[in-house]
Amino acid sequence: MKAQFGRLPEWAPSPRWATVSAIMACGLLSAGAGAGDRTAAAKDDYERLRASQVVFRSVVEKLRPCLVRIDTVGGAQPREVLLPTDEEEGAPSGRRRASQNPFRDSPGSDFVIADGSTTGLIQSPDGYIITSSFNFVRDPVLISVTLPDGRRLAADLIARDHVRKIALLKVEATDLPTPVWKSRDEVRVGEWAIALGLGFGGAEPSVTVGIVSALSRMAGNAIQTDAKLSPANYGGPLCDVRGRVVGICVPMAQRPGELAGVELYDAGVGFVVFKERVEEIVARLKKGESFYRGWLGMVSDPSAPHAVIVRNVADPSPMRSAGIVPGDRIVRAAGQEISHFGQLVQTLNMLAAGDSVELDVEREGAIFSVTVTLARSADLGALPELSEPFDPSAPLPPPDEEESDE
Amino acid sequence: MMFAVGAWKHPLECWRRSDRKRFRRGLTCWCGVLVGVGLAGPMASGGGFERAIETASSRVVKLYGLGAGLQAGYGTGIVISDDGLVLTVLSLLVDARSIRAVAWDGSRFEAEVVRRDLQRQLVLLRLRPEEASAGGAADDGGRTNNEAAMRDAGAAQGEARGMLYFDLEWGIESDGEKEDTAPRCATALEPGEWVLAAGNPFKVADGPEPVSVVRGVYSTRTHLDARRRVRDFPYTGEVLVVDAITSNPGGEGSALVNLEGALLGMVGRVVVSNRTHTHLNYAVPCEVLRAFLRESLPVDGESLAIAPTVSDPESIDYGIRVARTGYQKVLPFVERVRRGSPAARAGVRADDLILSVNGRTIADVADYDARVSSLAPDRPVELVLRRGREILTVIIEPEGGR
Repeated sequence: MKAQFGRLPEWAPSPRWATVSAIMACGLLSAGAGAGDRTAAAKDDYERLRASQVVFRSVVEKLRPCLVRIDTVGGAQPREVLLPTDEEEGAPSGRRRASQNPFRDSPGSDFVIADGSTTGLIQSPDGYIITSSFNFVRDPVLISVTLPDGRRLAADLIARDHVRKIALLKVEATDLPTPVWKSRDEVRVGEWAIALGLGFGGAEPSVTVGIVSALSRMAGNAIQTDAKLSPANYGGPLCDVRGRVVGICVPMAQRPGELAGVELYDAGVGFVVFKERVEEIVARLKKGESFYRGWLGMVSDPSAPHAVIVRNVADPSPMRSAGIVPGDRIVRAAGQEISHFGQLVQTLNMLAAGDSVELDVEREGAIFSVTVTLARSADLGALPELSEPFDPSAPLPPPDEEESDE
Repeated sequence: MMFAVGAWKHPLECWRRSDRKRFRRGLTCWCGVLVGVGLAGPMASGGGFERAIETASSRVVKLYGLGAGLQAGYGTGIVISDDGLVLTVLSLLVDARSIRAVAWDGSRFEAEVVRRDLQRQLVLLRLRPEEASAGGAADDGGRTNNEAAMRDAGAAQGEARGMLYFDLEWGIESDGEKEDTAPRCATALEPGEWVLAAGNPFKVADGPEPVSVVRGVYSTRTHLDARRRVRDFPYTGEVLVVDAITSNPGGEGSALVNLEGALLGMVGRVVVSNRTHTHLNYAVPCEVLRAFLRESLPVDGESLAIAPTVSDPESIDYGIRVARTGYQKVLPFVERVRRGSPAARAGVRADDLILSVNGRTIADVADYDARVSSLAPDRPVELVLRRGREILTVIIEPEGGR
């Protein structure tokens, strides 16, 4: 007893006290139910936690047969890791190029692309695999998919949604198991959400647990969760407690770029593309059609930071087709008041090339509406040379004259 | 989510104890409950983590030592014996002229380094009570006379006594009879299990204040492949990845426990994974801590030298020549396979593209060279190759088993 006593906590009573308190405790146990209720509640809490981890485990068991590991080889090299000590090497080359071409799809983040494995979810028994386009930012030469049974197959990248960050792969296989999806209508804010990924390699998925935080984010394209999402599970599923897929984990932010949002990894703010949206996207990706970021093809006037005043319009470009000329002020986009350029970019963030957006434009005091169909950056022409420094107060040429240029 | 709990014994701690001796001690806990309820008021039922939090937070010490620049001069250590052996991670902290430790009850200690392990990045410390003049007596408020006397007796001999600790020698391979007094290592761990890390990230717990506890789930087990600032992190063994943000300055050395309060591992340093390029929240598992401990405290008193095994790249020749150009970042295509070489026997052919070596994806020729040079020359190596549209796996058996 004495040896044991030496290891007892400071506040644990001495043996003599133990006897006394035992008597006290017995008396209390028989007399008062109050303490018993409270401890019963504590035990309930504990049992509930124990039960929850069993549930999380069962979700892993259910989903594991539908998860594939994706490895890529070759393609663009990751940008060098920029650490404080490396600053003398200069800014990333991407930044320099961005200043030369304003309509360039930038990665949207300085995040270094992962070198390791990534995750995919089997979409159909005949070998379609859904994952995140984040995993192919480098345009790899070869993509290999490792099935849960250990088979390693070469995969074709069918198409990508660069906006919602979804990608579709195809491998030659049959009778693959597919998971059950849960409709967004059935998802509730506050329910448990379990994210699975194979980004650490190996066969056992990594598990992170959180709740559903919001049902409509990113212009209605994503469900938000506080489960930790990162390159370890981008492309993997977020599931409910019954092992139904709530969505595909993707990096997202309120600004464009393939890597935008990755810097939020593990932050408790994560996004998944839900069932109905995934079905829409996959239907088009299966035809080999990719979604690209949609562009207007205009440059705003930096001297007016609290308004979006068109400074220049690319030729050709959606804005030119819509008859927009320098000096026009964009008042509203998709029904949203626009007071600065960043807000316009955010409003258009989740729209792909081919999608249309209604703009309210002010010209010479009058406001009119135009519908602009966004284009890919590759389809935008050059910016015409501005012959003289732009003066917003100068009289504007009539719109017809501009259109005749095309 | 963070908890800070007072030091009262929860009844759950008692429920799991079955034999009579402990039952009697268990009953005393009920008094603890009453006190706790009194203190906690309407928060009597605290969510079910109380036992684990209490167990873990009373078995770690706050460490204070050397700091410089971005290196925090504080950290956490796990108590692994009642006489003051403490495990923590290797950092600049332990290079201090004077390392100080504060236990859960506010008692203060001086710590000295018993042993360092550069490869596992671990340190074993021994605590000795601080000189009485340093103010240890100030924290005696809640103690019984008996215990204070015991502590004083220990202090007289310059040894810590009666500390709460985790018993690392137990758990995964329990052997024989040992008195069930201290919590041990967990025997099993499945992804999705609740975990709690108890430690002192950002030094927010001051003096006798209870340490911070962070909640999450265990994510996966993986080999650490990480860097710390510009350098690769020396420890490349197995780690437990968790989804709680545990790797913060000062959180290094925290105790990671499960819902029952059994030890799972020790939270590691702030590192960035080479695979995901994200900060990794990981713990060094119990068996690695135990292995270090066994080396550190050999039965015959002889200390073992630790030499990292690095093989000579020149000594490894599987008979593969990969295509090289002046440009470094090229894919590792096999240019030639020497006839009769181990690679030829394994079926490697020219024009095969090497995708992975022993399960690790190869990015380019330089990566291939680095990987091969780190292999044991006498061990078989597994290559995954692409040949046309096919992906195949070959195992190369080295010659003669050098």
